[in-house]
Amino acid sequence: MGHSRFVYVIIIHSTREKIWEALTKPEFTRQYWAGTTQKSDWKKGASWGAYTPDGRLWDTGEILESDFPHRLVLTWRNEHFPDMKAEGFTKLTYVLEDDPLGIKLTLTHEVDVANSKLIEAVSGGWPSVLSSLKTFLETGTPLPNSEKWPEGL
Amino acid sequence: MSSQYLYVTYIRTTPQKLWDALTSPEFQRKYWFNMHQESSWKAGSPWKMMFSDGRVADAGEILEADPPRRLVIKWRNEFNPELKAEGWSRCVYEIEEDAGVVKLTITHAIEKEKAKLIEAVAGGWPKILSSLKTYLETGTPLPRPIA
Repeated sequence: MGHSRFVYVIIIHSTREKIWEALTKPEFTRQYWAGTTQKSDWKKGASWGAYTPDGRLWDTGEILESDFPHRLVLTWRNEHFPDMKAEGFTKLTYVLEDDPLGIKLTLTHEVDVANSKLIEAVSGGWPSVLSSLKTFLETGTPLPNSEKWPEGL
Repeated sequence: MSSQYLYVTYIRTTPQKLWDALTSPEFQRKYWFNMHQESSWKAGSPWKMMFSDGRVADAGEILEADPPRRLVIKWRNEFNPELKAEGWSRCVYEIEEDAGVVKLTITHAIEKEKAKLIEAVAGGWPKILSSLKTYLETGTPLPRPIA
């Protein structure tokens, strides 16, 4: 069995609390994360779902760890694409730490599948989402390329 | 075998402003750990990265320069003997524009397995590029005082 992993680090001028809220609350995610929202009560063991702007369930999972505002771990399976769904549950970890330049957000998205299609797909998406999150938190406005859900999906 | 570090960031700016920020010493000092680089930024010209006290941190040569789209630097560490011994790495900047946002892709690679140089730059690039992004979008680099 192989492993696929995507890691991204970004430093944001904000607080850990504000970054956590921006990552989890629908009123924030829909502004910078392609109009999407997530539903969960964000406690360990709680179910988690990500929804398209028109309300379709896109990804599902469960909260594995929730240590506000330091560390959030959840399982994540795509529900839309059969080949990605067949890969099973991936694991997403957010870690928020102090850094001399601001708050350091480290995102790790991984699965015990070699050459995972889901990890390949999110590797293209995360830099855009997190770049927009940073711009949103630092300037109040997201990046224009990340506001809309892709047409036809 | 080889080692590679890849980082992608999206910045609200123009390709020319990003190119200028990446190549001008005055801009670099603001977001690149107070370091700056000296080069004429043309293919074949020498390139070096300087600490603020004037010591040379890294040196090499410009392999390709297509402003404001693509820049390739032949890059060797000069201040750490262990990293210097790994020899020449290759750093590629690619700049693309899409819907008012500029995508910057940095690929830093070397023909050596588990290279210490790539491990070292993997720690530095996210900080440098996070500060560069803030600088281009707000006029002030990181760190910024908490209001």
